[in-house]
Amino acid sequence: MPFVPVLHAEWIKIRTLPSLRGALAAVLVTTVVFSALASADADGRGSDALFSVFSGISFGQVAAIAFGTTAVASEFRGGALRLTLAAVPDRGRWFAAKATAIALPTLAVGLLTGFVTLLVGRAVLGGSAPGWAEGVRGAVGCGLHLTLMALFAAGLTVVLRSGVATLSVLIPFVLIVSFVIGDMSGGVADFLPDRAGQVALHSDWDGTLGPGSGLLVTALWSAGALLAGGWTLRHRDA
Amino acid sequence: MTSIDVRDLTKEYGGRRAVDGLTFSVRPGRVTGFLGPNGAGKSTTMRMVLGLDHPTTGTATIGGHAYARLREPLRRVGSLLDADAAHGSRTARDHLRALAASNRIPARRVDAVLEETGLAAVARRRVRTYSLGMRQRLGIAAALLGDPEAVLLDEPANGLDPEGIVWIRTLLRRLAAEGRTVLVSSHLMGETAAFADHLLILGRGRLLADTSVQEFIHARVQPRVRVRTTDPAVLGDLLALHGHDASRDAEGTWTVLHARVDDIGRLMSEAGVPVLELAAREAGLEEAYLDLTAAEAEFTAQPQEA
Repeated sequence: MPFVPVLHAEWIKIRTLPSLRGALAAVLVTTVVFSALASADADGRGSDALFSVFSGISFGQVAAIAFGTTAVASEFRGGALRLTLAAVPDRGRWFAAKATAIALPTLAVGLLTGFVTLLVGRAVLGGSAPGWAEGVRGAVGCGLHLTLMALFAAGLTVVLRSGVATLSVLIPFVLIVSFVIGDMSGGVADFLPDRAGQVALHSDWDGTLGPGSGLLVTALWSAGALLAGGWTLRHRDA
Repeated sequence: MTSIDVRDLTKEYGGRRAVDGLTFSVRPGRVTGFLGPNGAGKSTTMRMVLGLDHPTTGTATIGGHAYARLREPLRRVGSLLDADAAHGSRTARDHLRALAASNRIPARRVDAVLEETGLAAVARRRVRTYSLGMRQRLGIAAALLGDPEAVLLDEPANGLDPEGIVWIRTLLRRLAAEGRTVLVSSHLMGETAAFADHLLILGRGRLLADTSVQEFIHARVQPRVRVRTTDPAVLGDLLALHGHDASRDAEGTWTVLHARVDDIGRLMSEAGVPVLELAAREAGLEEAYLDLTAAEAEFTAQPQEA
């Protein structure tokens, strides 16, 4: 089966669910608003210049996770997946189309989020704001990181076959566990999916990972989750 | 010509055989009723035919090909498995548009099947506002979307109102008359006999009967006559004299097995026995089916031990 019609179908599915449009809007709004609030608060103190612009991503990535999870979880209710796979029996191709249909809008909204956040942050911080070169790196990193988190959640949702299960694993993980052990900078915590990618949003980093390698580590997590999802899909009964 | 061919199909779940060595063919141009009590393996078989569940052993093909190998399968095979497959937050039209896009089915087919299933007026409403009957119609619309040669419907009459049941009967008859292959599962014999030409009867995953509806009725349904007169004893003697197998209930009404009203009426008239009531018993089809499947039923109620 050709790929493009399958992608088209998955794109229609994403476009026509109000909850998914809501989740993407939440990515933009929470990141910008929480970043702006944190920037205003961080003004003048010695925190990381770039991350004080982008700190709202900690909340924005929860919305990105919700987006990726919901997009896939909608297939695991009421036998929807059976109808989907009856139309597209090539499961690998279908999942690739689904992942693409999740990645493209998340990347678009993520980049928009990055640049809006940057502009707002620079306006709030004034003189202490990070430079443009560093700022653009942060904005692009923001878009990529959000996309990778949505894909990570999408893969995990197929493995767990449930949106509720995925969110009850990922949200406490991102909001609590990662915050707690994340403060112990350096070491294993830096390699957690939500921490590694965020290195790209920092001016300084003292761990093993830099902006590029950090995003790469998160990308590996996402790829791993997607591959596990693809394997599950191929081997289990629908 | 698209026939559905199932060969030695078996599906085990943890040692329990849900489908056990099934072999049958579903031919085009007629409606094949797929009958069996709940848990007999009908849905599992359909999922294996559609390539959704992997068989433990055996094969299922449609027009000689495994379903999973079909390019744009909705154009060849339409199916209804779950009435709840459409997302509640989506409109019926968007649900069908996405399905159509995946198989490059032109958008006008979406409107055509919405019209055909009587959903055109509510097509832009969210599916969560639909009744079960409307969701079944949407499932059938999805099955017809690609104008397929073969149609597999799992319990399509579930939740339909009487008007809907008449509609689905007419639809199934028409699809078969157009030369399509039509397989329709049900756990109700009476309902199935109203539209099917051929029957596949399943019990505990095994094929119990592969027969035309006519043959099934002929072989299994015994004609019976119910008769009442002024003096039951006299009638009893008369029936015994002519070798009829008859039984009498408490009110004195006789039930004559293997008999037709014509014979009994004539007999009584000639003997001068007054007739108060004389009727052929139409029932029997459902009983014959229950009879056949009772031994195999998964969840037959067991008598309680004291």
